[in-house]
Amino acid sequence: MVRRGRRNSYGILLKIVLAAVFVYCGYSIYEKNAFLNLSEFVEKSELNGRNFNTKVEEVVSPRYKIKAYLFKNKTNPIIAMNFMFKNAGYASEDENKLGIANLATEMLISGAGDLNDEQFKEKLEDNAISIGFHAEKDDFPGSLLTTVENKEIAFEMLKNVLEKPRFESDDLLRAKQRLQEALRQQSEHPESVLRLEFNKELYGTHQYGRNPLGKKDTIDKITAQDLRDFMKRNFAKSNLIVGVAGDITVDELGAWLDRIFGGLPENANMNFVRNPDINFVAKNKDIKLTTAQNTAMFAVEGVSRNDTDFYPLYVANFILGGSGLTSRLSLAARENEGLTYSIWTTMGLADKSPLIIGSFSSTPEKFDDVVQIMLQEWRNFATKGATALEVEEAKKYLIASYNLRFAAISDIAEMMMLMQRDNLGVDFLQKRNNYVRDVSLEQVNRVAAQYYNAEKLVRVNIGVFAEENKEHE
Amino acid sequence: MNRFIAFIVSLMFLSCGCENMAKAGMFDAEEFYLDNGLRVIVIPNHKAPIVRQMLWYKVGSVDEKLGEGGMAHLLEHLMFRGTKKVGKDEYNKIIQENGIDGNAFTSKDFTVYYQSMDISRLELAMFLEADRMHNLNLSQENFELERDIVFQERKQMVDNSPNAPFAENLRSLIWGMHPYARPVTGQPSEIMGLKLEHLRDFYRRYYVPNNAILVLSGDIEPNMAKKLAEKYYGNLKKTEVGERVDFPDVDKNGETRLVMELPQINSTRLTNSWIVPSYQTKNDEIYNLMVLSKYLGEGETSKLYKKLVKSKKLALAVNSSYDFGGRSYGTFSIGILPKDGISADEMQQALDKAIDEAIAEIDIKEIENTKHKMRAGLVYLRDNPNEAASIAGALAASGMSLQEMENYEDNIAAVEPDSVKKTAEKYLRINKRIGGVLLPLGGLNG
Repeated sequence: MVRRGRRNSYGILLKIVLAAVFVYCGYSIYEKNAFLNLSEFVEKSELNGRNFNTKVEEVVSPRYKIKAYLFKNKTNPIIAMNFMFKNAGYASEDENKLGIANLATEMLISGAGDLNDEQFKEKLEDNAISIGFHAEKDDFPGSLLTTVENKEIAFEMLKNVLEKPRFESDDLLRAKQRLQEALRQQSEHPESVLRLEFNKELYGTHQYGRNPLGKKDTIDKITAQDLRDFMKRNFAKSNLIVGVAGDITVDELGAWLDRIFGGLPENANMNFVRNPDINFVAKNKDIKLTTAQNTAMFAVEGVSRNDTDFYPLYVANFILGGSGLTSRLSLAARENEGLTYSIWTTMGLADKSPLIIGSFSSTPEKFDDVVQIMLQEWRNFATKGATALEVEEAKKYLIASYNLRFAAISDIAEMMMLMQRDNLGVDFLQKRNNYVRDVSLEQVNRVAAQYYNAEKLVRVNIGVFAEENKEHE
Repeated sequence: MNRFIAFIVSLMFLSCGCENMAKAGMFDAEEFYLDNGLRVIVIPNHKAPIVRQMLWYKVGSVDEKLGEGGMAHLLEHLMFRGTKKVGKDEYNKIIQENGIDGNAFTSKDFTVYYQSMDISRLELAMFLEADRMHNLNLSQENFELERDIVFQERKQMVDNSPNAPFAENLRSLIWGMHPYARPVTGQPSEIMGLKLEHLRDFYRRYYVPNNAILVLSGDIEPNMAKKLAEKYYGNLKKTEVGERVDFPDVDKNGETRLVMELPQINSTRLTNSWIVPSYQTKNDEIYNLMVLSKYLGEGETSKLYKKLVKSKKLALAVNSSYDFGGRSYGTFSIGILPKDGISADEMQQALDKAIDEAIAEIDIKEIENTKHKMRAGLVYLRDNPNEAASIAGALAASGMSLQEMENYEDNIAAVEPDSVKKTAEKYLRINKRIGGVLLPLGGLNG
């Protein structure tokens, strides 16, 4: 009895212990979610499978045959129009008029037609209209945003900007003073100094090596007549590209295209920008400046938007340095070692010089460690390539995130413009995800080996370097 | 006719399903509270099948103890390092695979997490956000890595900037003993001295549903939002929020000025700041101050711009701003960039005179014009769901009811010229002004 009793009590104890172990294991598994299937949150979501009409229409104006891509959307009573004058950016400025493109961005919205600067800006604000311009390296884009209610006022104002800008002397003087001030402030921050020095190192005397803001001496001498000549030579129907999104019909837009842009000259007469002759060999330049961190900027040759290697390189770059915290460079230098706050690469798509360009920064004593990690990852990527899983994950992101581009109506209008600039076709939005989907592991690894060549990496650094460190010790 | 009745009946059912929801105008948003105290704001926008989730925690650098500067910001970083359910290094990977663009930021008053995504990923993002509210894996290894990263972030984003010493000293001068004086990033030495056990305590005390506001903005309807909020956040326990910092009174008398010469700085800049009410401290004056800021110095049609840039030709730019959204006082600031060759003193005298003139010129016509401009572009707020989420979240975190924010247009319309004038005289002419002058090296004598 006793023995049996003992045996029973041991048995009960054993059962209790086993039950406890069982419960504990169950709890642990629950806590750690060994059975957590995250994909079910998407697959079983009631919100899954929503369709989205991304049809783009090509509009041709009845009279002057001006083309535009239109993305119709009536969610809100607003219209965005983005347009550009191709090849009219700062790289094509005359050598003795450097800064004129930037000056034009301000002067074009400083009064037009019957309205002086103040009246023009009052009218924009009163009617919730925005009109703006930007001087890029290659092109000269502009944008307009209006409510449907005020569209006639907005479009008429844009027409006047393009046909009857005032370029009054007081406004021109102020715009020049501001540009000179921007030049002064440009050399304050180490990163903007680095960008200028990097362009000089890469492009030398080629137009891409210019300061985008121009030069003090040339800015001082620019006249209102120079601005008119700039417009006449650079703003024409032949180099105009227009993208529109929002609440407007095809017929209505066609009529407005004639009215707004019909008065432009037929043909532009821009300065030709040749391809730069860049010597991509491994080189490294240090610019000494007392800073809290050292910053590096680096580049190798890339491919243009229409190159057959574009999408494989797009995926490859995402894996190495384009994806934020999950990129190889970021995982190696930041997430695993804590050596930097940001390290990235991106595809530079300037017309005459496509690049893979990147940057990172770190405190001087850790900077060399990041350099070594970056170079090691770079070489490793070129020699061993990406894994099949990395390529699949990159493609998943690039496809699943695509709809995020449709958040703001002005961003959609810009897309309509860029689709034409890059000759992507009116059905690009329907095809784009397939372009990404079709990229294979073999293609990614081929372009990784071809383009991520450490022997061709040009790097410029700014900050405090070894000799100075020693002096301080 | 029958179709009409069916429509009315369906409307009745809809309204029965959301009895506790308030309906309103600027965003046409709706809001509700879960039983655990989580406030949820829903802003439907069906332009594209996308949505933004934002979670605003009412905790920021002001809640840090002295010497623990950077704690709130470091915790924000650690929120991306996995939980007991989502393994180390998995969080960012899951977010990426699903095409989600997410990030976070910490301010003096709030810590905010957000993700923009295809609507099909919303449930996943809600699960992940709710999970890391209470399940965070705060290991020593993660702590040390992220501490080093935020140290580098401070060096890159603050110390690398040539005007950082000016900005930090000016903030100290404005706020004195008030916690707003401290930088959100913490000082480098504070960051390196932070302790994991203190951070764990900070997480437990402030990351609770009743200290948070969830905003869902995009291709989602309030009923679905409510169902999903209950499903993913409903089980989180209401918990007493950690001790709230007592904001000290600030010295409102006298006048003070910081003049600083710094290397790398090439031109002179001036700022004038005043401590003024926020929505939290005195909400009946915020609309007067908003109109005043727009009237004085927002944009190239503002009074100070016309006087100092266009007419007198002494400055190249001037702007005013009013921050009313904090948990303590607000600030009213004017920044001005003198033309090359105009001294800081000359600029300040001209600014004083221009402010006096502008206040004296306040009348019905001027204020009606200003108010019209403020109301003209409100329709754009409905365009971008990401921006709408940020604006509504910030207003809600400042303590505004949904009705108050939806009534923004009416509240601006109701502002009277006399009230703007009195508010201007009271705060810009009687309250203490803190001047700041940033100069190139040798600029004082130049």
